[in-house]
Amino acid sequence: MSALLQYVATGVTVGSAYALVGLGIALIAQVTGVVNFAQGQFVMLAGLLFAVLEEHDVPAAPAALAALAATVLVGLLLERLVLPRKAAGRTDQAIMLTIGASIVIEGLAFVAVGTEPHFASPFTAGGALHFGGASIDRQYLWVVGIALVIMVTLWLLLTRTRLGWAMRATAMDADAARLSGISPSRMSLLVFVAAAALGAIGGIVLAPLQSPDASVGIGLGLKGFAAAVIGGLDRPAGAVAGGLAVGIVEALASGYLPSSQSGYADGIAYAVLLVALIVRPTGLLRRVAGERV
Amino acid sequence: MAATDTTAPESPAGLLDRLTGNRRLRPVVQVLLPAAVLVVALLLIPFVFTRVHPYTMADGVQLVLLATAALGLVPLTGYAGQVSLGQAAFYGTGAYATAILTVTFHQSPLLGLLVGAVAAGLLAWLLGRALFRAAGHYLTLATIAVGLVLGVVVKQLGITGGAEGLSGLPPLSFGGVQILGDVNFFYVAAGVLVVASLVVQRMCRSQLGTTLLAISDSPVAAQSGGVDPAPQKRFAFVVAAVCSAVAGSLYALWSGFVDASTLDLNLSLQLLIIATVGGRRSVFGATVGAFVVVSLARIAKEWLPDVSSHAGGQVEIIAYGLALILVLRLLPRGIIGALAAWLNRLSASKSAE
Repeated sequence: MSALLQYVATGVTVGSAYALVGLGIALIAQVTGVVNFAQGQFVMLAGLLFAVLEEHDVPAAPAALAALAATVLVGLLLERLVLPRKAAGRTDQAIMLTIGASIVIEGLAFVAVGTEPHFASPFTAGGALHFGGASIDRQYLWVVGIALVIMVTLWLLLTRTRLGWAMRATAMDADAARLSGISPSRMSLLVFVAAAALGAIGGIVLAPLQSPDASVGIGLGLKGFAAAVIGGLDRPAGAVAGGLAVGIVEALASGYLPSSQSGYADGIAYAVLLVALIVRPTGLLRRVAGERV
Repeated sequence: MAATDTTAPESPAGLLDRLTGNRRLRPVVQVLLPAAVLVVALLLIPFVFTRVHPYTMADGVQLVLLATAALGLVPLTGYAGQVSLGQAAFYGTGAYATAILTVTFHQSPLLGLLVGAVAAGLLAWLLGRALFRAAGHYLTLATIAVGLVLGVVVKQLGITGGAEGLSGLPPLSFGGVQILGDVNFFYVAAGVLVVASLVVQRMCRSQLGTTLLAISDSPVAAQSGGVDPAPQKRFAFVVAAVCSAVAGSLYALWSGFVDASTLDLNLSLQLLIIATVGGRRSVFGATVGAFVVVSLARIAKEWLPDVSSHAGGQVEIIAYGLALILVLRLLPRGIIGALAAWLNRLSASKSAE
């Protein structure tokens, strides 16, 4: 029982981070119609930068801010320099461009910091807390807490501000939004910046738990995709539920698989993504699907 | 069609425009001429690659195998606009099927090749049935996931040899004649590439190619024209899978060894880049793209120890990514498309004088 509780706690923690990644993917897909394959690299970049800065004795807060700022800058450059200005109608080209950007970011990270993992220390020192037989790492609370704050902020932003209304209007009908004076180009830039920030925060809070190296981007990105696909992308809550589901399934699988089968744990998140896509292909990008039928 | 893809000049009509405007000459210009150039270029490879410094004959074999594997992306990505990042899953399926049949069950290499192609085609058909029900870009995600899941599974199963993989495959043989040595194998693989190129081109020039283009440009218009996009996309996906599987089987028979690296995501990336850089709408683009990628890889291997102390293979990846971005932004029709447009403009400006 306590083992189960332990796995669920781990799953909820990493799942919250996956949810942030998935939220970024969902935002971009909804507002611009582009599936951003570079999202995982935002997560890798911020986590790695945070860990490397900490290893060079930069205090946690400035290190986190610098990692966040650098990642947002990369997201901004991706949207402005790499993606075509008229992405509409040629999403296959935009997708390939984000794939190209993704491997360039990964390659540059490898060249800059090498193949070894880097280590970040937890946000606060101190031993694990105990609840009902499960030991809860203090970092778990930070991850879940920060993810919650970010999700609530994003929800308020989308539902309570003019900017959020404009974003949702663009997601519903880009042409109508443009006629009402909303610039699709500005919205596109904003969602890429927001998605980069969401991915970066996910990467920074995970860094003390899963020491990042330059190769983790693709895996983390796919877990974000799994979260977004399971959630259905309709509403932010979907990606959050999807992220938690992927995190918990992954934690249970790696916990309960017999050691002879433990190699399968690596593939669980991908298998979940595949099953979600096969069973519910209308989940992801419902807006695009609706437009095309 | 989107504005980014129509780079052909309008006036005055260039040589290629005038030739393709002529009904009798059109097949000569669009099929026979490029096919002849392809055959001559492939025949030159053994002479060039064994003499010019950084290249080796093994690079030549890899070039034709990669080109064959990427060939199916022309109808799938170039025409239907579906991005697959899991071609390695089919390449690996072909390679593993051939390895299991020849090593474990002692069957002939040709049967292994055939079974590999059928298995990969079946896998693509099943995936396509589920994925093409809805519009959108699930294919890219699902194909990455399939490759990664298969990569994990083959490392665990006994029949696939676990993490060590399977070794000791017999060489390719036809009726008792074994194909030994890189040069001989190259000629066989190049023959497969030429035949496959012509078959895929025939498909693209048929009704199917037009239908796939229509689906990619406007699914709504295609559907109101009575076309159901799902079976058409599925067929293109199966063709892409079979091409990759045949190349994977040939690779297994050439190297005599198969492991999980045949399912690697990097291979899928390479194949996508090959198809895009060469020209997504031209079957001959695959060979051009494969030449670019093999050259990038060779140059990277040759020079990188001097450039960077660690992560040698990763600079190669940066080069791939930059090549993909630059070609998509600057030459959306790839090297072949740009070359054709350039020839056309050149002849047009000459005739205008």
